[in-house]
Amino acid sequence: MTLFTLMLIPLAAALVVGLSPARQAKWIALAWTTLALAAAVFAAFRFDWANAGTFQFEASAPLLPSIGVNLAVGVDSVALMLLLLTTLLGPLCALGSFTAVTERVKTYYAWLLILQAAMTGVFVARDLILFYLSFEFTLVPMFVLISLYGSSNRRYAAIKFFLFTFTGSVLALAGLVYVAAVTAEGRGGEWTFLIEDLEAGARGMSAREQAWVLAALLAGFAVKVPLFPVHTWLPLAHTEAPTAGSVILAGVLLKLGTYGIFRFVLPFVPVAVVEYAPVIAVISIIGILYAGLICWVQTDVKKLVAYSSVSHLGFCVLGLVALNMVGGAGSVMYMINHGLSTGALFFCIGMIYERYHTRSMKELGGLARRMPVWAFFMVFFTMASVGLPGLNGFVGEFMTLLGAFQSGAYGMGPGSTIGPLGPWFAAVAATGMIVAAMYLLYMVGSVVFGPLKEPVHHHDHPVLPRDLSARETLVLTPLAVLCVVLGVYPTPALRALEAPVAQTIAAAVEVADYARPVVTTLRDTNPDLRVAQVRRPGASEDESP
Amino acid sequence: MTMHTVLAQAELMGGVTLFHYLFVSATLFALGVVGFLSRRNLIIMFLCTELMFQGAGLALIAFGRYWMNPSGEVFVIFVLTVAAAEAALALALVAYLYRRKNTLDAESWAELAG
Amino acid sequence: MGEIANITLAADTAAGAAAPTPWLLLIPLLPLLSAVLCGVYRALGITTKLPGYTTVLLLAVSFVVTLSGYLSFGGHGVQIVHAFEWINISWGDGPGQSFTANFSLYIDSLTWLWMLFVTGLATLIALYSTEYMADDQKTGAYARYFSFFSLFVFAMSCLVMADNLLLLYLGWEGVGLCSYLLIGYHYGKDSAVAAAKKAFIVNRIGDLGLALGIMLAFVHFGSIEYREIFARIAEIQTTVAAGGSVAWQIEAIPLLLMVGAFGKSAQLPLYVWLPDAMEGPTPVSALIHAATMVTAGVYLIARFLPIFALNPTALAIVAWVGGLTALLAATIGMAQYDIKRVMAYSTVSQLGYMFLGLGVLTAAGSAYHVFTHAFFKATLFLSCGAVMHGFAGQLDLRRLSGLGKIPGWRVTTIAMLVGCLCLAGFPGTSGFFSKDMILAEAFVTAGPGYRFLGWMAILTAGMTAYYSFRVFFRVFLGPVEYHAGEDHHGDDDHEHDDGHGHGFHPHAPGWAINTVLLALIVGSLAAAAPYFIDKEHHGWVGGLVHGSTAGHIVTPGVHTDAEHAAEAAEHGAGFFDDPHKWMYFASSAVGIVGILLAWVIHMTRRTSAASAPIADALKARLTPWSTLAEKKWLVDELYDALLRRPLKLLSHIFYLLDQFLVDGVIDGLGALPRLIGRSLRPSQNGVLQSYAVGMGGGLAFVLIVVWVLS
Repeated sequence: MTLFTLMLIPLAAALVVGLSPARQAKWIALAWTTLALAAAVFAAFRFDWANAGTFQFEASAPLLPSIGVNLAVGVDSVALMLLLLTTLLGPLCALGSFTAVTERVKTYYAWLLILQAAMTGVFVARDLILFYLSFEFTLVPMFVLISLYGSSNRRYAAIKFFLFTFTGSVLALAGLVYVAAVTAEGRGGEWTFLIEDLEAGARGMSAREQAWVLAALLAGFAVKVPLFPVHTWLPLAHTEAPTAGSVILAGVLLKLGTYGIFRFVLPFVPVAVVEYAPVIAVISIIGILYAGLICWVQTDVKKLVAYSSVSHLGFCVLGLVALNMVGGAGSVMYMINHGLSTGALFFCIGMIYERYHTRSMKELGGLARRMPVWAFFMVFFTMASVGLPGLNGFVGEFMTLLGAFQSGAYGMGPGSTIGPLGPWFAAVAATGMIVAAMYLLYMVGSVVFGPLKEPVHHHDHPVLPRDLSARETLVLTPLAVLCVVLGVYPTPALRALEAPVAQTIAAAVEVADYARPVVTTLRDTNPDLRVAQVRRPGASEDESP
Repeated sequence: MTMHTVLAQAELMGGVTLFHYLFVSATLFALGVVGFLSRRNLIIMFLCTELMFQGAGLALIAFGRYWMNPSGEVFVIFVLTVAAAEAALALALVAYLYRRKNTLDAESWAELAG
Repeated sequence: MGEIANITLAADTAAGAAAPTPWLLLIPLLPLLSAVLCGVYRALGITTKLPGYTTVLLLAVSFVVTLSGYLSFGGHGVQIVHAFEWINISWGDGPGQSFTANFSLYIDSLTWLWMLFVTGLATLIALYSTEYMADDQKTGAYARYFSFFSLFVFAMSCLVMADNLLLLYLGWEGVGLCSYLLIGYHYGKDSAVAAAKKAFIVNRIGDLGLALGIMLAFVHFGSIEYREIFARIAEIQTTVAAGGSVAWQIEAIPLLLMVGAFGKSAQLPLYVWLPDAMEGPTPVSALIHAATMVTAGVYLIARFLPIFALNPTALAIVAWVGGLTALLAATIGMAQYDIKRVMAYSTVSQLGYMFLGLGVLTAAGSAYHVFTHAFFKATLFLSCGAVMHGFAGQLDLRRLSGLGKIPGWRVTTIAMLVGCLCLAGFPGTSGFFSKDMILAEAFVTAGPGYRFLGWMAILTAGMTAYYSFRVFFRVFLGPVEYHAGEDHHGDDDHEHDDGHGHGFHPHAPGWAINTVLLALIVGSLAAAAPYFIDKEHHGWVGGLVHGSTAGHIVTPGVHTDAEHAAEAAEHGAGFFDDPHKWMYFASSAVGIVGILLAWVIHMTRRTSAASAPIADALKARLTPWSTLAEKKWLVDELYDALLRRPLKLLSHIFYLLDQFLVDGVIDGLGALPRLIGRSLRPSQNGVLQSYAVGMGGGLAFVLIVVWVLS
């Protein structure tokens, strides 16, 4: 029931906000999201970390029993960590919006709370339909937040965001339903949407089917991540969204894509993943460098950080398709860490925007002199984002790169693992480290350091060059503390990730192990080849005609 | 129904057969269609639809009589009632439109062009 | 006999772990505590000298701990102190199926050598900074400075004391961060910000190589912990000694690691950041950009010399890069007028010597040069700092003259003289002995063009003597004349009116600066003493190096003990056959010639600070070469034109592509439904009768279809 409660708390809060006077809205939102955070922390304490790979707090309520749809929930350590990130960002976003949002307050906080409920739903779902409902429902609150509370070009951004991601998700739905159909076929016509059943049922797909399902799933998740050619909605949405919207967008919504890849793509279509991992990796690497270089020529700080998300999430996907422990665990860590540091950067930029009503690096400069506390946080989170060892960003970045390096470095030594990538992938992707330093230091160098430069005073936008208030410091401090903690002592988290990552990549590793050299030729000669055959070493070649 | 009964009915109707009724009905309908498509005056067009109505109604009555089934006549009585109401509404609209543009030309009303 | 002959196959480095000594953790932790405390002071807005004294105290304790740790260490073996698990994950029980990077210290004699001068010099320079940075107390920048300063010492200790490559990488990037923050200390100045950025990014290029080297090492050895790595290396050495070959992965590791070393230690082609780093406060230049951080690359290669030794190509690259860097930097240093820049280029040049030493396999010589250089270069920088502090930021040697004759500047003058003598390799000074070891070894060790490198290094030594005394003669001797600098420490936080106009009076260094300078004078001179201790291993430093991992090297196919002995027997051991003997005289000669040249050129008939007739005439004769050297051979401009600008252009192209092509395609797809609608729109013309025709026609069509089909 714990997990249902976690979903219901924000929903109930949204209702309360709707029924209460406007001036209380922010306090209600803050109180209830804090309550949700407390509940999530409580859950984390009750979670059996020794069996982190097992789904815990499982509960289920029938929704459409005739076609096997249940409200099934449960979390393993990966989901729980992302859930903690979500619930942590909840109160911080509420607190961070106190002065930023002054009109239509009730609507704002109500949608913010509904958004949190939807994101919680994504991470706790053990049923495909519940997952997909929540996954899609995140679009609605985000659409409202951008189109009502965004900047000048908000409507275009909101519509583009909605249609773009929606179109992708529909394709993903098609792929997921196809898996469900195959599963139902395998079970003699009995439909089920439980993820563990689908995972077993997906084994019934042939290599060719898997390739198509992979394409469909990636169409949805890659847009969300976002990967290289389908990323253009993100900079726009980020630039136009209100601060809290950007924080949640970067902090959690992008992770829905990588989480989807982790939860569905890797276990469902292992043969296709092994076969197409190099392609996905190349796309990720192109994204890392391409978006990184674009960052370097931005003049809008927020757009810079938005593009940096595209670049950073490339590492995340690279680690996932490395198909080994280091890459997988590194990728999950990357999801958490990116949420913390980039979320915090968006907060920092929002605080500047509130004061100066501009985000242009041409108008802002040397703000360290005006706002030392803010400058400290800005530099701190930038360093976390650059991947400075000792802070959180490094753990994920190094591990995803090492994972890619190890993966498929056959014969290079005991540290290599079976997989589809290799040292060259890591070497090229690692140049992203230099690019990241280039654009992030360019940003810090011109906004935080250098001669003081402030926009000309406008009468309708009074310039308020004060340093951070206690409230704003309170928003950033927990994030900074977590950045240090996760950078200095990530081992407990990594240990907890061992089991779920091992389970997730198991099927793909097996495929890579036994069938990597022959799977392509087998598929060409026998398009109806079943995964079950491929996974049985030796047998597959004998049985196929 | 046998050939005998058909002939008997024709006898009863004074040598006028179903075909004659249907011919008149089709003529009325065709006149209505042509009028509707060729005339621009809204009132005339409206009258043409009435003409089509009556054509259809005549066919219904003829079939009803032919099959000795009263539902055809019942149906026409309903149609006439509805048509009366519709005529009132339509003429009111036409009058309203005329007041707006001082013309009864149908082509002057093309605001819904895509 | 060089190090090359010291073939020791013993693997006792891995086995000789001593009893746990957790108190050694204090060495890195005290500076960290200091950093945190100073951060708190900054937040509390403390404007006294408390941050400075806290730092000095804690660093001094850290030094004392280091010293007592060294004294109780006993010479050989390894101590491993485990603190906590940093990044650990495993995916099986087999070898190489777990990744372990702990926060643990690996302490052997090489570690002690580095830690002794790191903590010792850091304490002294922190004390110097308490006075030097005093002007910034009001703004709170004082506490910030000491916070970063302490953080640097912490990061440097992690780098040197790490027990695995990843913790070394933490220190590596950590010192880079502190360097970034301290170069950009005067963050209001664009040049400081740009220099800081440049330092960080250029270092990142090196770090990329280091990171990939770490990954390759992990994949190949199955671990990144030194214990494991050196145990594996010992196995490989056994194979190699038995005539086996070396796997290409092993040969690739040093090639990657050296990229990191070139970045951090400012070698070709990545040296360009170091001269710009002089934008930072001078004590920072002394500690970070001369004495400690920049020697991290030397440490890295010395630590992994056994791997480097397995790949003769890697050694040759290191030697040549070092030799060429030394020469190039010396040529630039001869033509600079900013005395701090001269010192910066001399640092690059001296680092080049150290790399040359590593390349010719005299880790002892390199380490000793690191050791002596740390002292005399710190002395030189701090003397420059005293001048800068006293003359309101004036650093141009054409605008300062005869400082030695001004009362109150005696200590500074002596310090500068001692520093210059050491740098020039004047016979009997510490720099003389350490440089000799490297120079001599270049003639002993076999390798591609090493002999030529040796002659080049001797030439460089002469140039070094010339440019160091050029500074000394111009600034401290000659007629008394001085002009105040533009601003004070380049900090535009506060204006210093006393720096302008005719009423300028230089303020001579106070007690803290003088004490530190005196200590460093003693240190620089005394650094020669270790050469005479433990003569068997080329001095105390050599002994420390020999007792560490760097002492166990095997070079495949280059030079074995037996061959070396045979060669020696063939040629006889005459005076000219042993470079260790004649090098004393050769290097003394070039050093003295260099000094004399500087005297002739810069002291003859000099009447004012700005002009030295012979120097000016010489400069005119040597154009355009002298101008080019003054403009640093245009290397920065070259990089800008070849790398930065094309990359920037590419970025702009990418951004345009992104906006118009990538996004355009997406928008185009989004516009597709609209286009279809638009093409169908004319059919909806709004004319009642055309709809009626459509309706009638449609009906007719359906009827016909039904009729035909039935």
